[in-house]
Amino acid sequence: MIQTLAFYLFAAMVIASAALTILARNPVHSVMWLISSFFNAAGLMIIIGAEFIAMLLVIVYVGAVAVLFLFIVMMLNIDFAELRAGFMKNFPVGIAIALVLLAELVLGIGAYRAGALELGVPDGSAAPILGASNIENIGALMYGRYLFLFETAGLILLVAMIGAIVLTHREQRAPRGHQNIAKQIARQPEDAIVNTKPEVGKGVQL
Amino acid sequence: MRVSPLVDLSQYLPILIFLVIAAGLSAAFVFLPMGVAHLTGAHNPNAEKLSEYECGFPAFEDPRSQFDVRFYLLAMLFIIFDLEAAFLFPWAVSLDLTGWPGWITMMVFLFELAIGLAYAWKKGALEWE
Repeated sequence: MIQTLAFYLFAAMVIASAALTILARNPVHSVMWLISSFFNAAGLMIIIGAEFIAMLLVIVYVGAVAVLFLFIVMMLNIDFAELRAGFMKNFPVGIAIALVLLAELVLGIGAYRAGALELGVPDGSAAPILGASNIENIGALMYGRYLFLFETAGLILLVAMIGAIVLTHREQRAPRGHQNIAKQIARQPEDAIVNTKPEVGKGVQL
Repeated sequence: MRVSPLVDLSQYLPILIFLVIAAGLSAAFVFLPMGVAHLTGAHNPNAEKLSEYECGFPAFEDPRSQFDVRFYLLAMLFIIFDLEAAFLFPWAVSLDLTGWPGWITMMVFLFELAIGLAYAWKKGALEWE
């Protein structure tokens, strides 16, 4: 009973937040609604028993991905008036893209309904271990059966890290002169000051 | 098809109660003063009253200032090491199920990310200046 109520509460909140993410005029508000929908999706995950996924949603999506989105929104200096001015001009293109996506969805669901997609029968090798908790099951599968995929994920993360550094890291523009403290201390007055007595009419050899 | 849930959801009931109370209290704090003010106060705004003169001066520019691109790099590195930490939790609790292969897998994974960290460090991506 409570479970059903909580499900409808979280599901309604997810849909409402997602709709507001699209409809909000201010992109910063969009990101806030996106965070709200992530939280409610985490609630849905808990209801179906995927505790670890729920915690990942909160830690990774809310904690890191949403922050990245916020930074990107803040970095792009979007002129909203200009964006809205181009709305009517780009309207046909947007409608065309939406129609193509809708057609893909309909075709995909139709093919699945007609039985054209062979999804395979579970052979039981990835079945959850009875008596073990959710996170233990995930660990046993990820570091046992799917360990090569896990290593590939690590490589993808490495590529992403190097790519981000290559794309956004700027070298120091002009080196502001590195301070060599030993050289400064070792400098003596004789090295810096010359005491001369120039004769009248003759210059000084420096 | 009804699948028996893997977890005992009744453990989450206190959290749900807490969420409901928190949502109710915050809604009360937001809407109660609005409602009271609407019912008791006089509400007749005019253009002069709503102008900025009453509380400062017109804004010079958009309050949303542009961020430095270096924040993006920091956030990206944060996501990657956040994921690394998240992957460590299931590994740690299931180590007796996976054994040595699981241990070696995680060490290779940590080594891959350590290469990335060394690269970032060497490139000076962790420096702010």
